[in-house]
Amino acid sequence: MFKKIFFLSICAGIFSSVACIVYNRIYFFAFEIEFQKLVNPGSLIAINMFACIIAGIGYYFIKTWFKRDHEKIFNLLFTFLSFASILAPLAISLPLDIKNPELFPGLAIPMHFFPAISWFTVKPFFSKE
Amino acid sequence: MKRIIYPFAALIILATSAFTFIKSQDWKIGDDYAVKFTSGDPSGEFKGLKGTVSFDDANLAASKFDVSVDVATINTGNGMKNTHAKSEKWFDAEKFPTITFVSTSITKSATGYDAKGNLQIHGVTKEVTLPFTFEKTATGGVFTSSFDINRLDYNINTAEPNHGASTVKVDLNIPVSKA
Repeated sequence: MFKKIFFLSICAGIFSSVACIVYNRIYFFAFEIEFQKLVNPGSLIAINMFACIIAGIGYYFIKTWFKRDHEKIFNLLFTFLSFASILAPLAISLPLDIKNPELFPGLAIPMHFFPAISWFTVKPFFSKE
Repeated sequence: MKRIIYPFAALIILATSAFTFIKSQDWKIGDDYAVKFTSGDPSGEFKGLKGTVSFDDANLAASKFDVSVDVATINTGNGMKNTHAKSEKWFDAEKFPTITFVSTSITKSATGYDAKGNLQIHGVTKEVTLPFTFEKTATGGVFTSSFDINRLDYNINTAEPNHGASTVKVDLNIPVSKA
């Protein structure tokens, strides 16, 4: 079971990373602003892989503890945590040499939902039904 | 007529040279200046520093600072905090767009110099003494200063005296070149 969840996490992480990198480029072309110091392909891949692996571990334990309703509980928890995490880009103080910090939440907040969206998108491919 | 011209010309030259003698050195503010403030929360910087800087360590009586920063340029590194700082509750950047300092006297101190003058923030003017140092460089010099300001003295968000820090440390580093 863990092997399947592991590959699901990896696939969701890759999918999410690609979505973030694409969104980062779109944001740059739209606003001509880059937060390269914080948001770059390397950091995006690392954060998304980390988030999806953590989600996978969480999914494994929830599936073990809640045999019947694990899917509902996990989806609810993943969405809630993604939503709660948007406080981070709103509260963070960027280094002063980074211009237009007011545009940072517009870049970072949507990205916080990408791991969950990717997970929900990839998940059916790993289901037996 | 000729008899008047020469004495008159001599008088003008004498007067002009006298003014040249007492005039202090004017300095042009460099682009890489820093007007930073630090407190527990928030910390940041201001941009838009402009004004006249006349300083001659050999002639402090003729030295004078008349400078301002643009309140709307405040940057705390956080967009939400920047918006709050510019709002009516805090600096009210729309009504009070600049922070100004005009010196009235500059004297030598044990560690450098003291600039006594009027600091205007949020429409409130207070007489303050700002300690500073001046270090000559190959192309000009660098003014540095560090002092504390209590925002409550300038009626900045007096309704919430405990919201963030009330005392803010200001650090100035202003490279200048000869004007």
